[in-house]
Amino acid sequence: MTTILAIDTSTDRTTVGVVLDGVVIKELHHDDPLAHGEVLPTLVEKLLEASSEIDLVAIAMGPGPFTGLRVGIAFGQAFALAREIPWVGVSTLAAMALAHAELEFVVAIDARRREFFCEHYMNGKLYAPAITLQREEIALVPFPIFYDPPTAQNIAQLAATAMGVQEPIYIRKPDAYPAPKGVKFRPWTHIDLVDIYALEKSIYLDDPWSMEQFKEEQAGKGRQYLVAEFAGKVVGYAGIMLAGDVTDILTLTVAPEHRRRGIARELLKRMVDWSRNQKVDAMMLEMRVGNLEAEPLYLASGFRKISERPDYYGPGLTAIVMRKELGK
Amino acid sequence: MSNQPLVLGIETSCDETAVGIVRGRTLLANVIASSVEEHARFGGVVPEIASRAHLEAMPTVIKQALLEAKVSLRDLDAIGVTAGPGLIGALLVGTSAAHGLALALNKPIYGVNHLSSHLAVDALDESRPLQPAIGLLVSGGHSSIIQVTDMARGVKVLGATIDDAAGEAFDKIARILELDFPGGPAIDRLALSGNPTAIDFPRGLQSSDYNFSFSGLKTAVARYLKQTPAPHRADIAASFQEAIVDVLLTKALRATAETGIDSLIIAGGVAANSRLRAEAARRCALAKVELRTPPPLLCTDNGAMVAAMTSLALSAGVASSKPGFPTLSTVPLDQPTWA
Ligand SMILES: [Zn+2]
Repeated sequence: MTTILAIDTSTDRTTVGVVLDGVVIKELHHDDPLAHGEVLPTLVEKLLEASSEIDLVAIAMGPGPFTGLRVGIAFGQAFALAREIPWVGVSTLAAMALAHAELEFVVAIDARRREFFCEHYMNGKLYAPAITLQREEIALVPFPIFYDPPTAQNIAQLAATAMGVQEPIYIRKPDAYPAPKGVKFRPWTHIDLVDIYALEKSIYLDDPWSMEQFKEEQAGKGRQYLVAEFAGKVVGYAGIMLAGDVTDILTLTVAPEHRRRGIARELLKRMVDWSRNQKVDAMMLEMRVGNLEAEPLYLASGFRKISERPDYYGPGLTAIVMRKELGK
Repeated sequence: MSNQPLVLGIETSCDETAVGIVRGRTLLANVIASSVEEHARFGGVVPEIASRAHLEAMPTVIKQALLEAKVSLRDLDAIGVTAGPGLIGALLVGTSAAHGLALALNKPIYGVNHLSSHLAVDALDESRPLQPAIGLLVSGGHSSIIQVTDMARGVKVLGATIDDAAGEAFDKIARILELDFPGGPAIDRLALSGNPTAIDFPRGLQSSDYNFSFSGLKTAVARYLKQTPAPHRADIAASFQEAIVDVLLTKALRATAETGIDSLIIAGGVAANSRLRAEAARRCALAKVELRTPPPLLCTDNGAMVAAMTSLALSAGVASSKPGFPTLSTVPLDQPTWA
């Protein structure tokens, strides 16, 4: 028998609950995006009247708006310390996803400033880890989006079964950090292949290119491969190939921790410039359905969907074919 | 001794994550983790970075304080925490942790005023009666002259700065002189090799009230630096510091004379300034006023001062705060604890 105190302050709602072996004994919540600090203690005080014996504290670690997020974590950790019991952190988005059974969906938390923290689930599994989308971008997501905050039961369930999260999940960089200037763009050399391959493997878990493929590509004719280098490390790469009267973008990848700094945009711009120099009519690319970060970038750059290729990336994984006319 | 209340105090209003433990008026532990180095490259405290650092440091700082004090959380009689003034995001980490402790232990919690706490830390010197006293509170956010008659229930503000706080003036002048952040200690160090009478900077607001104004002084330093071809920076630092110290002490000592209270507490971050301490000792001796300056480590932000304030309130029978009390970015000085 384990009695879990579940705490979430990572969404606009403050949720607390006592859950005994999966059964909710009592759950309380309060909706106010700016009052987590005042609300949480009063809710927990009431909760403890119902059940004061606690064996484990389960804390939703975000992502979420920072100030509220830290209220729950600071409180939960101190509570566990004082009771000499363990605490377990869980991903808020993963807890939210537990409440849904659709084939494919997105869970989203309003991160303020017109941004949303999102996670993409497919076939009951996490498909794409947490990212930030702008309000305009989330409007383009082609499947259901759920915003309902996690329940105490969902949080407790994750804490009892899944791996814990030890650190708060901060997606957005703190405002104070200056955007890194000093990102260099240059053609890749064989020395870069080790870095590129490591990045590839960490991002495309299902089907990364092999080292051999990269070597072949590097040796191939009619190709342009670029890397983005920051502080001596490859943080992104892109490749394009001449294919008759069009060019075809083969890959465009940026390390997660360096996204939203305009690196993908700059790589794409250079691909466009290169294509214009080849005097082709258009550019083409294939993109996974539901590549939430890439799609808005391509749309904004003038790419349009022209067809779909079912099972292109494996069973059930549809590719969208996009084309950008270069004109004259 | 053991019937004195055991209190743990948490302070996170700015960039120090601090926990102190006192029993009655006896200091048992004072642990401080600072994120100042992370802020230095931005030339000032960045709220988001401070809040992150507080959260990371909090459990460790609490545990370290318990180790130093050789007590366990179960032994505590109350939890105190800074509820304001300060950076809201930073304060919330402290108040949330304090609530977590208090509710888990079923012990009373006190939301306390950071400013009163700066003065209350003087209580940890048990050799002297606490009040009445005149308080000179000088920090990055405040420069005030205070009449302390009942530390636990309220103090009377006699005067305050009408523009920059003394600590702010130090920071700004340090920037003009291209010194490191934080500016107070940097100027203190540079001034040691300078001549305090080299430049006669204006003393500002020579009025008969207890208010201060430091913006004119700042402008004068900037103008001097611009007009002087090869300025001697150490002389500027020393002369600037001399001007500030002169103004602060002149008004504070006038308050002791006019109220007839012959005891002066100097507290707050700027009270760690070596020139202010030396000059205060000299002038107080001349004026036959008892000078009370907490040791430098208890002048800058710390948890012991919060624990001291809480301990005084508890002993005086002041009601504890209701869980869920607000954190506030600005608070009048005369409200020592929250309802
Ligand atoms: Zn202070």
